[in-house]
Order: sequence, then structure tokens, then C-alpha cells
Amino acid sequence: MKFMVIRKADKDTEAGVMPTEQLVADMLRYNEEMIKAGVMLDGMGLQPSIKGARVKFDNGKPTVIDGPFTEAKELVAGFSLIQVKSREEAIEWVKRWPTLDGGGNVEIEIRQVYEAEDFGAEFTPEMRKHEAWLRDAAEKRCATQR
Amino acid sequence: MRFMVIVKANKDSEAGVMPTEKMLTEMGKYNEELVKAGVMLAGEGLQPSSKGARVRFDGKTRTVTDGPFSETKELVAGFWLWQVRSRDEAIEWLKRAPFADGEELELRQVFEMEDFGAEFTPELREQEKRVMAEAEKNRSKS
Repeated sequence: MKFMVIRKADKDTEAGVMPTEQLVADMLRYNEEMIKAGVMLDGMGLQPSIKGARVKFDNGKPTVIDGPFTEAKELVAGFSLIQVKSREEAIEWVKRWPTLDGGGNVEIEIRQVYEAEDFGAEFTPEMRKHEAWLRDAAEKRCATQR
Repeated sequence: MRFMVIVKANKDSEAGVMPTEKMLTEMGKYNEELVKAGVMLAGEGLQPSSKGARVRFDGKTRTVTDGPFSETKELVAGFWLWQVRSRDEAIEWLKRAPFADGEELELRQVFEMEDFGAEFTPELREQEKRVMAEAEKNRSKS
């Protein structure tokens, strides 16, 4: 099962407050454990919403609004993608999140990722083959750009 | 530059309403364009928050709250990870996404190693490179 682990924003992440060396080290150690366990697939931090934008679609027409966006708790500050045997295992890993983050006061959301088997007939065999090809090509891109 | 594109939830995504074959076809075409342009790095859809959970940290306490979560506009329904030359390029791609009515997408720039300062020491940077290379192995097996 795959889950997305979302570290919600707060006023510090929105202000672009950088993590301390100790927090960077703790986060790396935590990520390394998850990676060695075959659990962590990817993860990254997002820059404050002042650098971001929103696009709203209305009758097919897009409208662009620049950040910042005021509701910090609506915002994502970072995320990781994990692969686990159960929802409980995902929760257990998340409970071990580095305690220095957010001064020990963070909110993490865990959401299950849709996988091919979750879709029905509307996801036709051709579409499934196409999707597999797209994922493979994108993964190759991911590997080269880092 | 890398950007995360967040597709915000709405009542349909939260109700687990499946996309139609037409929507899936359009999305497949759009994703293919993104891949061919070398923009697409990753993308996933998220199941409704009723299957999710939140963990609150407070000192030594961990409080787990099961979904669903009522503030739909706070929720993520899906995301992409893109590699582009500029924020403008990302916005141009975004405007062409196959959405029609009321959907909202958020564009956020990813932190790269060069965005960090001295707190991300040379040793830590080496460790990060090594660790993320191993994550790639996990991805290819997933």
C-alpha cells in the first residue's frame, strides 16, 4: 500500500524559517531508516506559498492567483511517499517523526494513494498499459535530474 | 526548478467518485505531453480522507485522529511533481490541465539543496545524496 505523508505548514515554514543543523540531521536519519526498511520512496520540502500560485478552473477557463495564501494549516510544507503493509504501519512510522520539527508541535496527515487495482473498468487495459509506460518514462526523468 | 502541483479535494473526490473514461483519457493525454516534454517527474491520486489519518505531536504525546476530515478545501486529492525552467513555464502547463469546473490547483516550489545554507553541512549533503539515491531503488521496485 502506498501513502502520502503530508507535513502541514505553520507560520515558521511560511516565513521561510530554515531548519537547524540538528533538525536536518534528525530528518536525514529518520529518512535513512525508512529508506533502508524499503519504506520511503521519495520526499521533499516545499518553499513558502509566497513563491507559489493557485489556478482555478471555471467553465474550462483558468484564473491564476499568486501566493502567499493565508491559511497556513491548509498548506503543505513537505511530504513523503511511503510503501507499507498496512495503514497501521504507516501510522507507526509517522509517530516517529523527528520531534525537533515545529518545536515538537506538528500535524502530519497520512493519505492512501490510489493504485491501479483500486480502479474499475473505466481504467481500460489500454489506459493501464499507457499509464505504466508514462510512470516508467517519468521515473527515468526523475533519476537523471537529481 | 522543481514544483509540486497540488490538486485540491472537492466533494466528489472525497466521496470517492471515480473519474469517467473520458476524464481518464484526457488526463492520460495531458500526462503524456508532460512526460514527452521532460516535465513530468511523478504524479499520484489520493484516496478520500475517510481512509486517512492525522497525527498531532505535542511534546511526547502523539494523538491519532482518523479521517474523514471536514475541511475539504484543506485537503489534497492528488499531486504532480514537475521539472521546469521557470515558474512561468509551470503556470503555462497548469493552465492547460484537463480540468473544467471549480477545480483548484496549487503550485509550490520544491526546496533544492542549494536553497539551504550552512545548517545543511557538507557531510549532511553527502548523506542526503546517498540516501535519496537509495530511495530511487525503492521506487523502481515499487
